[in-house]
Amino acid sequence: MGALLELQGLGKRYGAVDALHDVTLSVSAGTVHCVLGENGAGKSTLCNLVNGGVRATTGSMAVREEAYTPGSPADALRRGVAMVHQHFSLIPTMTVQQNLQLVRRTGLRERLDRIADEFGLTVDTGRRVADLPVGARQKVEIVKALVPDPDLVLLDEPTGVLDVAEIDALIGTCQAIAGSGRAVVLVTHKLGEVSRVADAATVLRHGTVVGGGRLSEVPVPRLLSLMLGRDAAEIDADTAGAVGLTPAPRARFVPSASPSVPETTLTARNVPPASPSDPATTLTARNVPSASPSDPATTLTARNVRSGASDASGPTTGPVLSVRGLAVHHTDGTAALDAADLDLRAGEITGIAGVEGNGQSELVRVLSGALRPSAGSVRLGDADITSATPAVRTRLGLGVVPEDRHHEAMVGELSVAENLFLGDLARFRRRGLVQRAAMDAAATRVIEEYAIRAAGPRAEMRSLSGGNQQKVVLARELAIDGLSVLVAAQPTRGLDVGAVASVLARLREAADRGVAVLVVSSEVGELLTVCDRILVSYRGRLLGPVDAADPTAADRVGSLMTGTAA
Amino acid sequence: MTLLTQILVSGIGFALPLLVAAVGELVSERAGALNLSLEGMMLSGAFTAVLGAVTTGSPWLGALAGILGGLLLGAAQAVLSVRALADQIVVGIAANALALAATTFGARLLLADRGREVPAFDRIAIPVLHDIPVVGPALFGQTPLGWVCVLVVVVTAVLLGPRTGRGLRIDATGEDAVAADRTGLPVRRVRALCILLTSAMAGLAGAQLALSEVRAFSDNMTAGIGYLAVVAVIAGRWRATGTVLAAVLFGLAQALQYALPALGVAVPPAVLTMIPYVIAVVAISGLAGSSRAPSCLTVPFARA
Amino acid sequence: MSRLLHPAAVAALAVAAALIVGLLLAGLAGADPLTTVSALVEGMLGTSYAIGESLNGVAVLMLVAAGFVIAYRAGLVNVGGEGQLCAGGIAATAIGTGLPAGTPAFVALPAVLVAAAAAGFAWAAVPAALRVWRGTSEIITTLLLNFVGLALVTLMVHEEGLLRQPVTSSETLPQSAPLVEGAHLPELGLSRSPATVGIVVAVVALVAVGILLRHTGTGLRLTALGHAPEAAARLGVPVARARFLALGGAGAFAGVAGGMLVATAPYVLAEGFTSGYGFSGLVVGLLARGSMTALAAVAVLLGFLVSGGINLQLVAGVPATTVSIVESLIILFIAGSAAWAARRRAALRAPAPRPAATQAETVGAER
Repeated sequence: MGALLELQGLGKRYGAVDALHDVTLSVSAGTVHCVLGENGAGKSTLCNLVNGGVRATTGSMAVREEAYTPGSPADALRRGVAMVHQHFSLIPTMTVQQNLQLVRRTGLRERLDRIADEFGLTVDTGRRVADLPVGARQKVEIVKALVPDPDLVLLDEPTGVLDVAEIDALIGTCQAIAGSGRAVVLVTHKLGEVSRVADAATVLRHGTVVGGGRLSEVPVPRLLSLMLGRDAAEIDADTAGAVGLTPAPRARFVPSASPSVPETTLTARNVPPASPSDPATTLTARNVPSASPSDPATTLTARNVRSGASDASGPTTGPVLSVRGLAVHHTDGTAALDAADLDLRAGEITGIAGVEGNGQSELVRVLSGALRPSAGSVRLGDADITSATPAVRTRLGLGVVPEDRHHEAMVGELSVAENLFLGDLARFRRRGLVQRAAMDAAATRVIEEYAIRAAGPRAEMRSLSGGNQQKVVLARELAIDGLSVLVAAQPTRGLDVGAVASVLARLREAADRGVAVLVVSSEVGELLTVCDRILVSYRGRLLGPVDAADPTAADRVGSLMTGTAA
Repeated sequence: MTLLTQILVSGIGFALPLLVAAVGELVSERAGALNLSLEGMMLSGAFTAVLGAVTTGSPWLGALAGILGGLLLGAAQAVLSVRALADQIVVGIAANALALAATTFGARLLLADRGREVPAFDRIAIPVLHDIPVVGPALFGQTPLGWVCVLVVVVTAVLLGPRTGRGLRIDATGEDAVAADRTGLPVRRVRALCILLTSAMAGLAGAQLALSEVRAFSDNMTAGIGYLAVVAVIAGRWRATGTVLAAVLFGLAQALQYALPALGVAVPPAVLTMIPYVIAVVAISGLAGSSRAPSCLTVPFARA
Repeated sequence: MSRLLHPAAVAALAVAAALIVGLLLAGLAGADPLTTVSALVEGMLGTSYAIGESLNGVAVLMLVAAGFVIAYRAGLVNVGGEGQLCAGGIAATAIGTGLPAGTPAFVALPAVLVAAAAAGFAWAAVPAALRVWRGTSEIITTLLLNFVGLALVTLMVHEEGLLRQPVTSSETLPQSAPLVEGAHLPELGLSRSPATVGIVVAVVALVAVGILLRHTGTGLRLTALGHAPEAAARLGVPVARARFLALGGAGAFAGVAGGMLVATAPYVLAEGFTSGYGFSGLVVGLLARGSMTALAAVAVLLGFLVSGGINLQLVAGVPATTVSIVESLIILFIAGSAAWAARRRAALRAPAPRPAATQAETVGAER
């Protein structure tokens, strides 16, 4: 079978910046081809190019050896290239049936029956898209992409919102589509999926192709190092989480080679200091080579142990934040959050795992003040903040890093300085006017302290990369006067590996200072490396907790996520 | 003719152009485009209709010219609002001002010395039906162009209704343009075509006003009918039946205004003028039932 | 090439293009370009009377536009300038004709203008409340209330029981009685110029709004609200209250402008006194794209063109509507090309990162 899709020297330039350059790859019919790359590597630009959303500035594309230059998604569809979008290609206010009719009116029923037969995918056509849970919407998107009988199906990061069972189903669907003689291109940053489904892979890094090939020839660890640009052996736990690898069971105590070597390699967490007079050593995870050379899986372990001088005895006082019986309902009456209880303690990092759509987002929004619960209460220290405004919560020491950075955490059109201090302008106010110079100076200090890459305090927020934007948001929240609780929702989503590490380090630092930290994340690996204990959000309830130091933690969290008791 | 019949006749007479323009505007708004320039489109249509009729001597060619007159303004609105992403509101207001000034200028230049006789349409009394008491003359005494208007309204409502394929695509464009684009719908083209259709119907409405009702052109003769048509769409909650009902109601209210002195009622006409707008405010504020504007109304589409 | 994309350059080109069309039209009416231009310029700047009249108009435009910009910053489009002008005019007339004849200016004038501002605020408060509590589009509600406002003025000046001047004969015009002398806007005192202090008030207001938007916390918060309402809420901005006050404030500005219109010669309220300033002010506000200097420039341009048109008709025999045509074309060209140029500039910048998965619905509509 010849190449179905062929890209030659493809590139896309915006102004002076190359988002993509020299991308050459070839996808054969009947295969599942994965495009791998960490966030920021150029995967979304590539998708846009293939799908017709933007035009290439250099290079060429060919479908079935004929030149392919789509100017719109409609053009792409005409050439048999269909894309499965994450969320944005279904009209929420219309029913599934109506959405599918937009693609094809006559013979829709027959097509749907054929698709059900061939791929085992069925959808409830009568329901309104807005009422569907995320996983069901994903299925509708896939069916919609299949209706025009495409030759190539492009999936852009499809698994972020799916639970384990749904991921299995998706992988099965991809294999079925490929098996029918079509091609599947799966764009992802999750190595785990790649190893399960790909026939071939191409790795993107810094906007260009750095390697790839048939999976029978290129082993997964090699893909990993291509993705990250370093040796597999040098990858630490945080990074592993960022690429969807679950850290192996921890608590392997490896004593240092000799007493004179100060750096101790590896440990479990919360190792008490050797002696009471010894200020606790901060130990970090490093360099664990795989058990044997023939073992392909990279096992990575351990976590940053925090110095425990102040909390070496562990949390003793009462909870800093306490949630009781919290309930939130969807517009159609079903419960998004159902009698959720939660306690956060000073200096402790609590994690909430769970696939999107199980109530975690609602929980965070209730905590931040953006959503009113239908029942239940939230207490911060002595104060009842259940219906307090965001301003009051901030004043009482509650910091929040929201999930939707672009809409809820920052104002893209304003400058870095303005974003940093919008909630605290009184500080810079004299005679009614805002002192810009003072604000800029304060912002510059923050930029330096957090190593934020920006043109200056006046740079527009939206000109910063995702990682730097997140640093600004974090800096702002961490600077809250009297911060006692920090809630971080999906804090590393969309960030490249370096930014991920920096964000997680800041969270640990905050906990060291005595802040109660809550991390909500759909990446279990990430939670395992940074949290002390993990709860699982499932159908609106909080299950658990699971002690992150427990050797079976990963499995227990996994089963809780599917609803089976731990 | 009794007073009631007279009111009905003039009410329907006023309502018909309003109806044509409103049903046309409904199509655009379902696609997410707000045409505040509807007023200007109708006025242009009226002007070109009279100009065409006077120049060619045929009212039918005049009507055609009226449609073209509306299309001219529609083309401008489409290009500016869809391709150039200019603010639909600014364009609408400016286009109205342009139409008013241009038609006044044009009338001075081209119609001043033509005398008062404009080839127009005569009413046709349909036998038997016209004699139905009270409503007969109003419903069945239209001019040929009036019947064309009715036909156009029905055909538009049927061919582009929300259950048809085209209608669905139009609604999708107005609800969520980004999703529609990703689905492969040519969003800009759909919107542009809808605006052109609206302007053609508005031109026809203007022609109907000029050649069937007033039978002449005078400066600013539409006097706000275009805005009323937009209001009818709102009051009708973006549904065809509601829009038709609203248009008829507004037409009757207008006729009532002039009949009030004859009826001996002391209500100031100005109060009646307000009624359509108050109805629309109530309708849209959801104080009575549900109403939702197409989500993308007035938001220009740009593929990010 | 990219320098040509600067907003000022684009606007200048648009104006030039529109003027060329105007000259062509004038030619159709039988006037050569030179006569046309000189008549136009003379009409705009030739006599101090014309300049004075224009300045008064500019003042009204500036106020309406400044109010519009405040609301626009907060993400609200105020299409209701006409109606708010009417409300302001009605209130001003009610107070201005109701005060005793000898009321001193320092009492009458502020009373009249404050009443006008309050009325404008109230007129905008209904759409504002509907927007804040029911999510109803303010574009539509403010538009609708325009017509109600205009009809209200008609009602007021036709009914003796309301604001109509006492009917002494069948020729008594449907308009209000004149305002008491204390309520007349003082003229600037320039020789043979009807220019009032209105222009001073307007310029001061413009400067104040500029400072407010750029240098105060309120302005920053409004800007944040307009761009990213959820983030603004998170950062402590009282969204509902801010939106209500922003739209209400826009109404207040237009209301004052309406009061000023009535407090200028001939000091009566009559049908059509708004002369479309509500819509023109909106256009000025939108074209200014947030810059107070641009706002002033556009207001001056549009305000002066009107006088130019009148003279054009008198002297060159070119219909005054030519100027209206040119005005409309200017607006259309600027609006079209400015948006196009902004798109070209944006295309040179990398696209914003893909938005993260967002929640589909929130309880309580937020746009």
